[in-house]
Amino acid sequence: MMTPTELADVLVEMPMPSAVSIGFTTESYFDAIRGVVDIFASKKNLETIYITSQMPSNSIIDVLTLLEIDMKRIHFIDCVSQVMGGAVARPDNVYFVESPTMLENIMLKVEYLMRKNKGKDSVVILDAINSLAIHNNTKILSEFFHILINSLRAKNAYTIIFSMEDFSSEELKGMMSLICENVISMSGKGEG
Amino acid sequence: MRIIAVLTMVTKPIVRRAGEERNRCVTGVEGLDNILNGGIPRGNTVLFTGSCGTGKTSISLEYLVHGAIDGENCLFISVTEASVKLLENIIPYEFFDDSLIKKGKLVFVDMPVIYNKLGLVTVEFTLEDVDTLVKAIGSIVKELDIKRLVIDSITSVCYRLKTEEKIREFILKLGKTLSELGCTTILVSEISPTAERYSLYGVEEAIADGIVLMGNLERRGDLLRTLQVVKMRGTQHSRAKYVLDLTPCGVLLVPLLKGGSVSSGGG
Ligand SMILES: Nc1ncnc2c1ncn2[C@@H]1O[C@H](COP(=O)(O)OP(=O)(O)OP(=O)(O)O)[C@@H](O)[C@H]1O
Ligand SMILES: [Mg+2]
Repeated sequence: MMTPTELADVLVEMPMPSAVSIGFTTESYFDAIRGVVDIFASKKNLETIYITSQMPSNSIIDVLTLLEIDMKRIHFIDCVSQVMGGAVARPDNVYFVESPTMLENIMLKVEYLMRKNKGKDSVVILDAINSLAIHNNTKILSEFFHILINSLRAKNAYTIIFSMEDFSSEELKGMMSLICENVISMSGKGEG
Repeated sequence: MRIIAVLTMVTKPIVRRAGEERNRCVTGVEGLDNILNGGIPRGNTVLFTGSCGTGKTSISLEYLVHGAIDGENCLFISVTEASVKLLENIIPYEFFDDSLIKKGKLVFVDMPVIYNKLGLVTVEFTLEDVDTLVKAIGSIVKELDIKRLVIDSITSVCYRLKTEEKIREFILKLGKTLSELGCTTILVSEISPTAERYSLYGVEEAIADGIVLMGNLERRGDLLRTLQVVKMRGTQHSRAKYVLDLTPCGVLLVPLLKGGSVSSGGG
């Protein structure tokens, strides 16, 4: 089992730009968030773009609040709230995509936020690939990742893709090892 | 010997070395400039065509604002909407600065005002009227040293021309006049979502130097705004479809993903 600090240490060593997949089990979810969003992002002084495709952004915000993580430099792209018919509140730092099938709109929101960050060092986190895989076939998903990661690479940003090991398939694991320079497993199982 | 010398003298300014690029008008819409390998070849007349609400006016305004910021004189001739209303559309742009208008870098003119000044009051214009109109636009462009022009929309002008012959005459003459003045022009064209061609009369698209098609695409119940460069004389370009978003940072473009089952909607 990797601790949040250990995870952050591994990430800090990675050159900018890099694409990393982080696999973890459900019980390590908070550790992964702490390691990436808190320790790694503050150490590297990064603007954070957090894409939620699994849980609505307000749940993630609750988690971050619980972990006492500073949210000043975090922007959310929320792909689930609108499908669920929720999201009455529209906080300033949350951008909504109508559904997790609108992958182009996710890219467009990332592009928009990267522009607003005006070249400041950034990290884009996708939480998580498994839920995107429920709504999209593998072909379109890998096309999406190729374009997204390459455009972020060109902008010198980090891409971090969360992957729930309990729900991952061999196909997804294969895709991650193909498009990411680094595949980390927090549980030490299989993916490392 | 002497004849050859004369010939080389005459042909020299026209001859371009192989691979040499035409001067570009950088639109400032980053995604579009990438698609066009650096921008619209200077002097081109380009049709921006699409059904209603696809972003034609927004992208044309952005093109002018970027030009004005770069120090070029830019003119928007509004045919359908009063230009006062249009201004409301550009104010949200983060890069817009109203001193551009005060300094005269960005000029708005309403077409009905031009019609009135020229005494063009009939519903249907004659061939002479067409000539008068082209000359009038040409002289405004020349006088103000306009380098970027938008006419929104050309379709509304064409309603007054009616026949194919007059539309052809109008666009050909206009294109030639503006090109000679070094002005790069966007003609906004309106089509119905189900139209099988790029312009209402079919003439505009054949004459224009470029066609940028804007539309909506339905995919598995989601509606996406799209942009596609169908033709552009004087440059290589991508012909792929892109997905478009209108934001306070301007128009953003990303490639349309092809992996899924795509059924094409209208426009
Ligand atoms: N900066 C902006 N941010 C968000 N939405 C915008 C912005 N500018 C325009 N829109 C939206 O985009 C829509 C289409 O814009 P636009 O008027 O440019 O399209 P158009 O193709 O010229 O339409 P028409 O055929 O009606 O002239 C508008 O209805 C407006 O709601
Ligand atoms: Mg319009």
